Formats: sequence, structure tokens, C-alpha cells
Amino acid sequence: MTEKGEPGGPSRREFFLAGCAAVGAATAGFGVSTLRYLVPTVLYEPPARFTVGAPGDFPPGSVTFLEDRRLFVFNGADGFFAISSICTHLGCNVKRGGAGFECPCHGSRFDENGRVVHGPAPAALAWYALSLSPRGEVIVDLDRRVGPDFRLKA
Amino acid sequence: MGETAKDRAGRWLAAAGRSLWRIGWPRTDKDRAAVMISSLFLHLHPARVSRHSLRASYTLGLGLVSLILFGVLTVTGLALMLYYFPYPAEAYRSMKDLQFVVTFGVVLRNMHRWSAHAMVFVVFLHMCRVFWTGSYKPPREFNWVVGVGLLLVTLALSFTGYLLPWDQLAFWAITVGTNIAAYAPLVGDRLKFLLLAGHVIGPMTLLRFYVLHCVFLPLAAALLVSFHVWRVRKDGLSGAPEVPSVVEETAGTFPASSKTYGLMALTRRPSASVEARDPRDEVFAWPHLLYVEVLVFLGVVILLHVASLLFMAPLEEMADPTRTPNPAKAPWYFLGLQELVHYSAFVGGVLVPTLVVVALVALPYVDRRPHGVGRWFAPERRLANTVFTVLVVVATLLTIVGTFFRGPNWAWTWPW
Repeated sequence: MTEKGEPGGPSRREFFLAGCAAVGAATAGFGVSTLRYLVPTVLYEPPARFTVGAPGDFPPGSVTFLEDRRLFVFNGADGFFAISSICTHLGCNVKRGGAGFECPCHGSRFDENGRVVHGPAPAALAWYALSLSPRGEVIVDLDRRVGPDFRLKA
Repeated sequence: MGETAKDRAGRWLAAAGRSLWRIGWPRTDKDRAAVMISSLFLHLHPARVSRHSLRASYTLGLGLVSLILFGVLTVTGLALMLYYFPYPAEAYRSMKDLQFVVTFGVVLRNMHRWSAHAMVFVVFLHMCRVFWTGSYKPPREFNWVVGVGLLLVTLALSFTGYLLPWDQLAFWAITVGTNIAAYAPLVGDRLKFLLLAGHVIGPMTLLRFYVLHCVFLPLAAALLVSFHVWRVRKDGLSGAPEVPSVVEETAGTFPASSKTYGLMALTRRPSASVEARDPRDEVFAWPHLLYVEVLVFLGVVILLHVASLLFMAPLEEMADPTRTPNPAKAPWYFLGLQELVHYSAFVGGVLVPTLVVVALVALPYVDRRPHGVGRWFAPERRLANTVFTVLVVVATLLTIVGTFFRGPNWAWTWPW
């Protein structure tokens, strides 16, 4: 092969440039697709759907704070509902205080329905759907958000 | 009488010594300059430096102190790794072990902690010094950008290290920090998921932060530090006043190669260098620079030892995701941001930091006037210095407010 290559064909330099570009593109593509490696496929986290006990465990008119679920379960006059204790601002645990909830981190305050009254929180506390299992236990589904008119009659 | 065994042993030893240290202990300026250039570690220095850049009141030695702290952090960090398990409850127990069981464990941990705080502080001061003396001007623009990268890596190292003790302080500071990241537009939630390796802080998060803290970020820092120092070496130690000296004007410039010490010709400087061009304004790095460096190193190490023996690094109860301490505070260097975040998470957590970083990176390419280099608060740079000083004061005030004047529920409180 000469420096110029076959007449009409690619020159030696063009041939190697194309080859380098192809190998480079393949390597870059492999690298980019490998970024997916950083995203875990299996999460060893608590399930988003779980039971919290029989309705009878929650006295009428009571508020129960489930620490490890970061969830308030209310048994109100017209039924059950559940409000998250995770502040929508930066993820601290809100506490019951005043007429509703207060966040210790940045001073957000929420009313009794979890709506923002004051402070930097950009959104109301999350409400989650409740349902009854076949065995009559209350199920919380963290993947299903509901509005503040939600009630579970039990 | 032939050679005695003693003579032979002496010659053998001398030869072995020369394999290690070729020139022998240098006794003249010329020999010392030769050593400065031929030794791997010493050749980070030029053979000669300008008197101006040696004045302690000019650089305050802040870059050097940052480098020393990075070295101390590497050594103490490697030692701590021998007793640390990156798994939630075990991590906390290894902290307790280091504190109460391992010989000198508590001192090493204290030293790592205080060096980390000191490094954030000193790196920040170093940046202020470089700004106030206009040392980011050409040809040093890109090295300023590398410096901004180093500031960010320093903060990332501190932040990832903050989670490792797995106590309440760690857990909630990282909770707040990663939720701030989630406010980034478009990619926020994905970014948080990637950082946490899940939706909540758990074992995967700890492992990820551990690997970042012990491998990825130190490697990045080492690479950037090498580049940073190399550029300083090539561009000359920090800018001297661009006013030509009297000697230069009357006698013309002396090319370095025409002087007695021709070794200097080995390092060609870009013609734009603002280092003193008059050889008579330069002194030999050994002893003038080297001895100062050794003294500063000893001073820093002594201070760190005293601090580590007197003051204990904090360790609260084990991390408990169900109990948020009140108030929950980020590390002190993020408390200015947390104070802003208290008003608006997007403005404080995303907008302001992004603008600050963009402005810092763009600075040397926007402010290109070659005036007022190499002097503190040069009058020619009044506008730039005023703007920068106001920003520094605001950042400092926000940090002080967040640290001392914010109590439970982030309400106003008095520190006394």
C-alpha cells in the first residue's frame, strides 16, 4: 500500500482517522451506557405498601405517629387518613405543634391538614391512600398520593 | 599497606549513598540550585524566586498551608481507614472504638476533623488573597479556574466525610444537603437518587459516600493540586508588581541564561510572565523559600497536634431516621447556604451557589485588565475589590447568623 492508497480509494491517513473515530465513538458509547451502572437496580428499602395494624388499634379521635414509617395516622370522626411527617422543604421530620405541624430544621409550619402556613416549604405534606386488607388491616400505599378530603371508613 | 577493610566499607557506603543522593550535601548556591532542579520533590520549586513573592505579608502562605493540610488529611485519613467499617451501625461503632479503644485513635480522628475544617477555611482565605492581590490576571486565568475546582472538591470531600461517622449530626446534615440537591431543575430528583443510591439514606448511601470520600475525590484533588502547583511553578510564584524595577530600566533586561547560574535557562517562562525579570531581584529558593516552608509545615503540624489534644471532635448519638434533632444544622461552611435555604430552597440551594460558581469561573476571562496585579487592594481595582469584598462579607454574615443566631425551628436566638 502506498502513502496515497489505491487511486480513488481512501488515503492511508483517512483510513486511520476513520478507524480511530469509529473506535473512539464505540468507547464513548460504551462509557456513556455504563453510566447506568451508577443507578441501583435493586433497592434494599422498606416496601412502599405495608399494613399498619387493625383499625381497632387506633382509638377514635387519635393521632398515631409511626416513627419508622415517618407517618401520622389519624382516626378522625369521619374516617382514617394518613399524613407524611417528611417536610417537603428538605426532608426533616415535622412534629405536631401549634394547630398543625412544625419543622425543626428551617421553621416551616403546616395547618392540621398539612397545608403550608408559613416558612420555606414549597408544598403541603403528603397524604397517602389507605385501604383495608382482606384480613381487615389498614394498608398504607406510599406510591398513591391523595388529597386532603380522603377518608377511609373502617 | 593496601586498602583496609574499613576503607573498602567506607567506599562501598559512599557509593551506595551516591545512588540515592547524587550530589552530596550541597554547600554552594550553585549546587543547591542544581539539587532543586534534579530532585523529584524539590523541583516543584524554581531555583530562584522573586523577593516580592517571598514576603510573608504578601501571600500569607495560604496556598502552602492548604497543601500541608491536604497532606495531613491524607495521612490521618489512611490511618483512620484501618479501623472504619462503611456499614451503618458498624460505622458508628468504629467511631466509638476510635474514640475509646484504639491507641491514639481519638487524636487521629480529632486531627482529621480539625484539619478538614481548617482546610475549608484556609482554601477560602487563599481564594480571597488571590482575588485581593489580582493574582488571577493573565497568564494565571486558567489556574484560578483550577483553584475554583479545588475549592469545590474540598467542599465535596468535607460533605462526603460528614456522613461517615453515622451519628445524628451526620445523618441530618446529609439529609438536608441531598434534599437541597433535589431542588436542581430537571435533574434534581435523579441527582438525589444517584447520590443516595435510593430514596432514603441507607447502607448504599454510606458506601457511596465512603468510596467518593476515600478514593474518587482524593484522586481528583491530587490531580488538580498537581496541576495547580505546576502552573504556579511555570507562571512564577504569585504576581509581582508589573512596574519595571529601576535596575531593569537603566541597565536593560538580563536574560536568565546569561547569568552565572545557567541552570535557570532550563525553564523557559512565557514572555507574559509578570514575575520579577530582574535577576538581582531574585533570591535562591534554597534556603530562602525552603526554610520558610519547613517552618510553616512545623507550625501547622504543631498547631494541629495541640488542637487535637485539647478539643474533641463531636460525636452525637447514632443516626436515627425517626428523630430529627432541633435545630438540624448542616456543616458550618454550609450554614450560610442553609440560612438562605430557610427563605427559599431553590434560591439558596441552587440559584445562588450556581451563580457564584459561574461568576468565579468566568471572572478571569471577564476582568482582563492587567492592572493592579501583585498588590493588596490596588486602587486600580477598586470596583472589583469592592464587589468581591461585599460578597465575602455577606457570605460571612450569613454563615455567622446560621451558626450562632439560629436556634430550635430555625428561629432567632442569641448565642449567649
